[in-house]
Amino acid sequence: MVPEQSSPPLIRLKGISKSFGQTQANADISLDIRAGRIKALLGENGAGKSTLMSILAGRFQPDRGDVQVRGRTTVFNSPKQAIEAGIGMVYQHFMLVEGMTVAENVVLGQEGRFWLKPKRIFQEVGRLAERYKLEVDPGARVSSLSMGEKQRVEILKLLFRESSILILDEPTTVLTPTEIEQLFQAMRHMSDSGKAIVFISHKLDEVMSVADEVAILRQGHIVDEMEISQVTSTRELALRMVGREIFLHPDKKPISTGRDVLRLQNVWHGPLQDISLRVKSGEINAVVGVAGNGQKPLVEIISGQTPPKQGLITILDKPWKDFYRSSKWLEDFCYIPEDRLGLATCPALDLGDNFLLTTREHFSRGPWLDKKKARAAASDLFKTFNVRFTSLKAKAGELSGGNLQKLVLARELYRRPKLILAEQPSQGLDIAATEEIWNYLLQARGKAGILLITSDLNEALSLADWITVIYRGRIMDTFPAADQEKVSSIGPLMAGLKD
Amino acid sequence: MSSTIIIPLLAATVQSGTPVLYATLGEIFTEKSGVLNLGVEGIMIVGALSGFWVSQASGNPWLGFLAGGGCASLFSLLHAAVCLVFQGHQVVSGLALTILGTGLASFLGTPLIGQKAPGFSRIFIPLLQDIPLLGPILFRQDPLVYISYILPIAIWLFLYYTRWGLALRASGENPRAVDVAGISVQFYRALGIMIGGFLVGLGGSYLSLAYTHIWTNGITAGRGWIAVALVIFAFWKPGRAVLGAYLFGGVMAFQLRLQAMGTTIPSSLLLMLPYLLTIIVIALASKRSRGGEAPAWLGVNVEPEE
Repeated sequence: MVPEQSSPPLIRLKGISKSFGQTQANADISLDIRAGRIKALLGENGAGKSTLMSILAGRFQPDRGDVQVRGRTTVFNSPKQAIEAGIGMVYQHFMLVEGMTVAENVVLGQEGRFWLKPKRIFQEVGRLAERYKLEVDPGARVSSLSMGEKQRVEILKLLFRESSILILDEPTTVLTPTEIEQLFQAMRHMSDSGKAIVFISHKLDEVMSVADEVAILRQGHIVDEMEISQVTSTRELALRMVGREIFLHPDKKPISTGRDVLRLQNVWHGPLQDISLRVKSGEINAVVGVAGNGQKPLVEIISGQTPPKQGLITILDKPWKDFYRSSKWLEDFCYIPEDRLGLATCPALDLGDNFLLTTREHFSRGPWLDKKKARAAASDLFKTFNVRFTSLKAKAGELSGGNLQKLVLARELYRRPKLILAEQPSQGLDIAATEEIWNYLLQARGKAGILLITSDLNEALSLADWITVIYRGRIMDTFPAADQEKVSSIGPLMAGLKD
Repeated sequence: MSSTIIIPLLAATVQSGTPVLYATLGEIFTEKSGVLNLGVEGIMIVGALSGFWVSQASGNPWLGFLAGGGCASLFSLLHAAVCLVFQGHQVVSGLALTILGTGLASFLGTPLIGQKAPGFSRIFIPLLQDIPLLGPILFRQDPLVYISYILPIAIWLFLYYTRWGLALRASGENPRAVDVAGISVQFYRALGIMIGGFLVGLGGSYLSLAYTHIWTNGITAGRGWIAVALVIFAFWKPGRAVLGAYLFGGVMAFQLRLQAMGTTIPSSLLLMLPYLLTIIVIALASKRSRGGEAPAWLGVNVEPEE
């Protein structure tokens, strides 16, 4: 437990409870947030972190409990009141106006005179950026910035209005390793100058490296709270967060590889420049990179959505055109898109129909679908893949992210494909679901080659046999995942640094 | 020959372009806040009628001019109510506004057809009117034209150099960012609709108080639609709106001259000319932009905060 400290906390939450219908998102949560400290809020998806922070940010009202700001009980009826109380939030999805400059975004919503003086604002924003080591050009258009720079703008917005409590919601998801280090430095700077920082995360190593203290949230409860110096191992943290032993380093036995199932030779397409890569049956090749470095067009051409402009693509020994022209391609190839609700499923259709979306081979008689048979098969299949659902009549949109992804995997792997293209398969999933998804992919590797597109380094290292780093549409390097020396250079490679 | 034909033609160009300029600026203002208002034609004619009415009743054309803007602004409140309060579809609501406005003006305006109202006449600006070429074209006009010279600059200053303008533009570009900053998107969108409607209404009353002083049925004759199209041509920039409006005005003035000179071309064909040419030019010019300049959230409703 955190020892009693003499200075009163900036924010004290006392017995906060909040329910949505049947589910209790927060149960009797008490938490102190102190100036000059970085507090990590650790928990899986659905543990209640976002609800708690939305209460602090004035978006929700708690059912029970008090929020005390500087010792005084306060009720936030709107985000505006929370902002005025000095609480600032950096959301996971940036809230920036892309078409405007950095400075304009920073002044948006700030108190001040009617007329804007661009020059003065530029200076003020520039000075602030320098003071907190948040390098960004005040005159640049937000749309031209990298994700890391955009995040700095979000933080500058809060610093500009002199927020004293900064809440960062999963801030590292979109950053390169270098940018993460820069962010951590800025966080330390801010806490040194007296800001209270709340760092929401489910990444244990990051919490260990930047936080002063950690509170662990599980199923709406604070299960533990301690100083980082008291934590003996990350394993212990993980155990408390998930509540059971987890196995994040899946059993990756090498298996004998077969023929090439996918080969790209000198492909040029949109931002992609001279891409060559291959995937053999029995192996996983992970394309690693920060989102937006050409992964989208790469996925689009490999999955047959758009023809490549230039270069040779061979899938299962057939040229791209011939492969997608034959009607059999759907049997041999499967695509697990990043956008689960948009591309992979129809949210408004029920689970049975969603199963039939891509898999109709054994369930059709002439023009008719044998729905009864399909439903029986789907039901069995979903159970083997541990998809939790009430009935096949439930709509796909009602499933949680993890269950939906398991459904997609179940459906796609059912066809026993020979080439699998998996795009960010565990993004936004909790640890338990991630573990299952990874195991399914590793199993599937026995009979197929897998091209894994991911920006999660941990995922790539846990699954892949080969690592391919992509930056600005170019392949920086390709090497076996077992090559420790190369693996340690992935961070700089992802940021385009190559010696 | 330039002084006898070209100069009067260009002066007429400015005059014909002015009502369209007011309406285009109004629609730019509204669309910048993220609201598409296809009711411009209806709002404009409501402005024309109420301006004419008030001017006739009060004998003061300035009162009429302002009343035209004010009534149009109130009329466009309907759009705000449908889109902002009831989350209705912006296209449908705008079209309904056009149908309602033109119908209302034709019904209420029937007894006024052919009547006169006190309007604006030309005021020559000393010194400036003597500038060669420019003087006779730009500075021998009615006062409403002079206001329309200042208006694009004023709107540009408001949109780009004030806090209010910043929040209004941001409401059209990313309302969620505005919401998070503690600003009411609905307020700024309502402001966009009301002030935009006011400007469109001023354009309408220009038609009935300065362009002509007589009430005729269907006085706007599609100028509202031209304004909607010119917004795209202008890439949502007040400055470029001037160019588009005078382009329309130029062809309008030219075909009127041709008619007056008594050509053998049927007048109905000539009347078509300004609309046809404007649309062609817009189509060609817009190819370049591909909608990249449009406010990102244009036409998309935002749920009010719970």
